[in-house]
Amino acid sequence: MSELAHALRDLQEQKVYALVDDMIGNGVSPLTIVEECNQGMVEVGELFAQNKYFISQLIYSSEILKAVMAKLNPLLENMEKSESAGKVVIGTVKGDIHDIGKNIVVTLLRGAGFEVTDLGVDVPWERFVKALRESGAKVLGLSALLNFTYPEMQTVVERVRSADLQDQVSVIIGGAPCNEQVRQYCGADYYAKDAVDGVAICKRIYG
Amino acid sequence: MSAEDMKRLFDERLGRYQAAIALKPTDRMPIAAGTNYFAEVYSGNTKQQTIYDPEKWLEAEMAFVRNFPELDALRDNRISGPLFDAVGCKTYRLPGRDLSPTTQFQFVEKEYMQADEYDALIENPLKFMMEVFLPRVLGDLAEPGSIRANIALLKGGMAFMQFGQVMQNRSIRLQQECGMPQSMAGAFLAPFDAVADVMRGLNGTMLDMFRQPEKLIVACEALVEEMVNFGLAMADPFKRYPIFVPTHKAMFLSPDQFETFYWPSFKKTMEMLIESGYRIRAYLEGDWGPYWHHMLELPRGTVICDIDNQGDIFKALDDIGHHQCLAGGVPDSLFILGSPGEVRERVRVLCKAAGADKGLLINGGCAIPYDTRPENYRAMIDAILEFGTHDSSLRLSPEVKDPAEGGHRALPAKMVTDWPSKREELGEILGDEQLIQRNWERLEVLAYAWLWQWLM
Repeated sequence: MSELAHALRDLQEQKVYALVDDMIGNGVSPLTIVEECNQGMVEVGELFAQNKYFISQLIYSSEILKAVMAKLNPLLENMEKSESAGKVVIGTVKGDIHDIGKNIVVTLLRGAGFEVTDLGVDVPWERFVKALRESGAKVLGLSALLNFTYPEMQTVVERVRSADLQDQVSVIIGGAPCNEQVRQYCGADYYAKDAVDGVAICKRIYG
Repeated sequence: MSAEDMKRLFDERLGRYQAAIALKPTDRMPIAAGTNYFAEVYSGNTKQQTIYDPEKWLEAEMAFVRNFPELDALRDNRISGPLFDAVGCKTYRLPGRDLSPTTQFQFVEKEYMQADEYDALIENPLKFMMEVFLPRVLGDLAEPGSIRANIALLKGGMAFMQFGQVMQNRSIRLQQECGMPQSMAGAFLAPFDAVADVMRGLNGTMLDMFRQPEKLIVACEALVEEMVNFGLAMADPFKRYPIFVPTHKAMFLSPDQFETFYWPSFKKTMEMLIESGYRIRAYLEGDWGPYWHHMLELPRGTVICDIDNQGDIFKALDDIGHHQCLAGGVPDSLFILGSPGEVRERVRVLCKAAGADKGLLINGGCAIPYDTRPENYRAMIDAILEFGTHDSSLRLSPEVKDPAEGGHRALPAKMVTDWPSKREELGEILGDEQLIQRNWERLEVLAYAWLWQWLM
């Protein structure tokens, strides 16, 4: 693991910024810098999976990454994108406006190289279907915090299944009120117990 | 039923509930959700009616109690639409206003306090609230001193009193006409949540833990007395009911962070409320498995802990069920999607796990969900009667304190202008000073509490 990936894994904010500035100054390709940061983020996810890191560390690491990307984005324009791990559409279902969990999943997915279409909160089924059609993503992530969303999640799954995307899309549900019973009720393919589990499921699907 | 019978029923229920919290023997496990959302909508009301039409709300509760007379305590709505509207409070989206009338209210988080404003908060929390925080969080107060802002303060005060009367009327009518106690009265926040919910927000607070940990810790300490004061100001004067504390952000912390940032000020706040003669009902949101052993540090039987869906109720019973009463055990999804048979089996297993020596009130993960199937709620009650009855011969009487006796308070009530200052301004008083003082202080205490309610 590179020094930059190490620093990000260890949440050494100022060191990460200094290393990135040095690398940019020394003409290192921004794609290499992104790749090293992604390695660091994968390590952060790993530590979370091992119960060594908690949500606070995930949020902090994603804030550091956000600041790094703000430096890199102008340099990344006009460059060829690195290889994608797969496409994922994600959003919080209609009626629910919570997004803490979803945002963490999005950060980790992007860190793992996925192209993510984040539809935000309070998303009606039509927008999920449209985004899946446009992106060609094989994975749909449905997020919820409130338990009145079960019928809405079921509706989204039904609509996705009956759209012209039959058998192409795997649906993952996640969030505080979800569990295996809710997955069965909604007809989703997977229930992710936390953000890291969600990323692992996406990797399996695209594996 | 005669008034006397109603009183007997009320005492029996309250005695049962209080004894369970205190881990004393009960005739049976009480049925007392912390929050019962199901009761609000059971009779067909929309969620908007609950928060905008007090009569409809009370009717719904009374209908619920009639159909589920086995209930021992009831508490549901705590939000007043008119009060929020009077000042343009931005922290919630409300059914019928910003959301469909049939959708539940939802909290909206934003950074209303900037990262570099800790010193101002720490130096003078009251001044910070009044001059910095409230103009940001209450839209109608955006221009302090303007006619609109002054009128908003006036309306806000009136709406607060109005809502207070609604709550009092509701409590009295449920007591006198249904013999029904409250699950809790009054509320406060863990100081860390006071900062992390509406001041700095989750993201801001998480970054502060790494970037300016000392300031965050000191700010939490500075808010202890404010939270104690707020909790006491709105609590039941007879000390019959626990004070509610919903915890929100602990679940995002590592155990080390919890011990450093969350627990010390939270513990101190709870100790001061307990010292003042109250018990506490704490909603432990998320999975508190890594932290709930700290509840062993507080006196036995003083904090009833609502274990959320994500927490393992059986582990909680093993870890702290001998020291504090727990509530929970039926996942929300089971109430909404399960069958009566599944609910009955769940209750049976839970009653067995609690046995006679561990405190447990069977409940959802903090609340009974809006979309609960009535037959599942009925199944829960029937199963509690079947498996949670210990000794039917036991008769329990409630503890009720006389407010006139006052009793010990860990903290004098906070006021902006206390009586000695006012007394000096008034000069010679020609009649009964105490009569004037009592009313002056009552309004000062309420006004002070008004300022802090916007953190809830």
